Amino acid sequence: MTATRSSSGKETEPASRVASFSRSLASVRLGIVVLGLIAATSIVGSVIKQGGTEEEYLSLYSEKAYHFVKLFGLDDTYHSPWFYFLLALFALNLIACTVRRIRGLGGKGAKAAPDVKALVAAGSGFTTTRTPGEVSRRLAASSYRKKQLSETTALYEKGSFSRYGVVVIHASVLVVLLGGLIGLAAGDRGFIALRVGETAEAAVSRARARAPVPLGFTVRCKDFNVTFYPGGQPKEYASDIEILDGTGKVVKAGRIKVNEPLSYNGVRLYQSSYGTSNSYTFRVDGKEVVLAEQEVVKAGRTPFMVVRYAPQVHDFGPGVMVAYMDGEEPKTLWFLKDVERMRTRVIGGSRISLEGIAGGYYTGLEMSRDPGVPVVLAGFGLMLAGLYINFFTFHRRIYVMSDDAGGIHVAGMASRNREGFLEEMDRLSKDLA
Amino acid sequence: MITHDTILGISTILYLALFFLYIVYFAARRKGILRTAWYCLLVTFALQTAGIGLRWVESYRLGMGHAPLSNYYESLIFFSWAISLIMIVMRKRLYPVITFTGAAASLALMAYASLSPGVERGIQPLIPALQSNWLHVHVITCFLAYSAFLVSFACGGLYFFESRGIVPPGQTLEDINYRSIIIGFSMLTSGILTGAVWAHYAWGSYWSWDPKETWSLITWIVYALILHLRFTGGLRGRRTALLSIIGFASVVMTYFGVNFFLAGLHSYAT
Ligand code: HEM
Repeated sequence: MTATRSSSGKETEPASRVASFSRSLASVRLGIVVLGLIAATSIVGSVIKQGGTEEEYLSLYSEKAYHFVKLFGLDDTYHSPWFYFLLALFALNLIACTVRRIRGLGGKGAKAAPDVKALVAAGSGFTTTRTPGEVSRRLAASSYRKKQLSETTALYEKGSFSRYGVVVIHASVLVVLLGGLIGLAAGDRGFIALRVGETAEAAVSRARARAPVPLGFTVRCKDFNVTFYPGGQPKEYASDIEILDGTGKVVKAGRIKVNEPLSYNGVRLYQSSYGTSNSYTFRVDGKEVVLAEQEVVKAGRTPFMVVRYAPQVHDFGPGVMVAYMDGEEPKTLWFLKDVERMRTRVIGGSRISLEGIAGGYYTGLEMSRDPGVPVVLAGFGLMLAGLYINFFTFHRRIYVMSDDAGGIHVAGMASRNREGFLEEMDRLSKDLA
Repeated sequence: MITHDTILGISTILYLALFFLYIVYFAARRKGILRTAWYCLLVTFALQTAGIGLRWVESYRLGMGHAPLSNYYESLIFFSWAISLIMIVMRKRLYPVITFTGAAASLALMAYASLSPGVERGIQPLIPALQSNWLHVHVITCFLAYSAFLVSFACGGLYFFESRGIVPPGQTLEDINYRSIIIGFSMLTSGILTGAVWAHYAWGSYWSWDPKETWSLITWIVYALILHLRFTGGLRGRRTALLSIIGFASVVMTYFGVNFFLAGLHSYAT
């Protein structure tokens, strides 16, 4: 069986410099090289730590290696100028390729019929004594479309759109890249931490030393809830959120859960984390001090701070772990608020007792504004459709030629799935025997 | 009461039996053995499906009901299941030696899952980020892709061995290889895209260059390159074979390597 799949026809333009440039821009070889480079870069970026601080790099690599990393922007590989250059080159190449391919598709219709008898002789078909009408009806029943090529020869086609699959796939890759570009140019990301009752008008930018990102509205956390599995791992956490406009009117309210963001005016708010932000009241040698988490105070000459809070320490109620310096040596000690003997302790000669724990959870919301998302999603849809059309439908052509002696020769070609098509031809030849 | 552990244990033993059945077949070349092996595969697959289903039911009894697709152990079991599924679906086009490779891989995965001390086998609660229907589509498509690429790898590896009646001819291997790359590439694309959509809902960003994402992209590019080299560069023979082996090495890095060498959002490890 000859299965053909003609690639875009050879162009015979005059060999001007522009033409030769555009030809090399559209060449598959360039595409392969650029894609290979993008893959290689990605490997490098996955191996080298991304977005770390100088200290982190110096603890991992030598100073020389760190300079090298900095010089080529390998600490942020996927946002380095030359990675963008590769992507741009790739996009240009793909555009050129696709344009050429679309041009090539145009001239396909007016193709001369092949030598049907030779194809049959080569095993790609069969000869039958049925009438042309019977053959035609049988093929129509399998949804083949007929096209008369000459007096003696007709072409029956099916799945000819399969040829456009490649164009759809390539276009979809471009659409996704375009969506990414839109997000890059017009998008914003940030983080908001809110305690119940608090409001925010802007999000903290994740990038270091960048200004806060204004939301364009006010967000208020009405309530926050977290439930746990019996083992203590968080099962679900959710924030009840209100969105207020400039005048303080509530314009939207809803519950944000992990995997269920809330969107308003192109801004999406995601439940990304939660934490505790407590304040702890201690009495140090009779004097009351209120401590935030990680805040250091001195008891006499000994500095101490709260390093950990647990709502339930075994069965003894809430407690905090306090770290302090015993001379040169850091030590830790648990204070339990509801256990008389563990509430007051002596550190560096000072009597310290835990009087109260106030506060509670804060909710961590991720904020993102990305107008590129619908474009990216459209690209995804196109890509899947293109893959389906290209790989799982195929272009079938069956030529039917009647000769002077009243015999009918039937020969077929398929763009792919040759075994499947062979079986179809077998069935056809049995039905028309 | 029968637990999923028992059933999965039995299916592991059946994979072992399957492995030896094929070895006996290669020695004796009796058609009857081949038929026995085929039924053995069906029974094993059915049992494994039941085992996975039972684990799902048991997770509900423990008060943390979720599909068994969420930790390393569960993914190993599912990988082995997906390989058998691909073997059954592609059976018309496959050869005993390829099915044998698949059975050997399934056996290795099951044995590793149930014996390695490094694998946590208990049913664990599902962290909130994983509580999404996208998880199911994402995991299923990814593992079907990996399984199809395993077939491609087998074809590539076998290409370098002499025929001797066991290994199909080179042209046949190439045809099967191409077919499985098509399935694998389509599935991997679906896997990456559903993963991106899910990340969009869970983290607010459809792509964040986390190592697992990055490696799945690398794998995707490798197979895209194979398709293009084949189509436009006329890539054939030993080179196709070699590239399918490289492609699968990238799959292995994406699935295993990233968990062990690179840290990120996707690591099954705690
Ligand atoms: C990530 C990017 C790309 C993807 C996912 C992709 C995907 C595909 C797929 C799936 C096919 C069909 C292969 C087959 O039927 O066996 C194909 C064919 C092709 N691709 Fe790409 N491609 C990409 C980039 C490129 C680039 C950059 C070029 C050009 C420089 C290119 C040129 C071609 C050509 C010429 C064909 C053959 C088309 C034909 O005549 O049927 N592709 N591509």
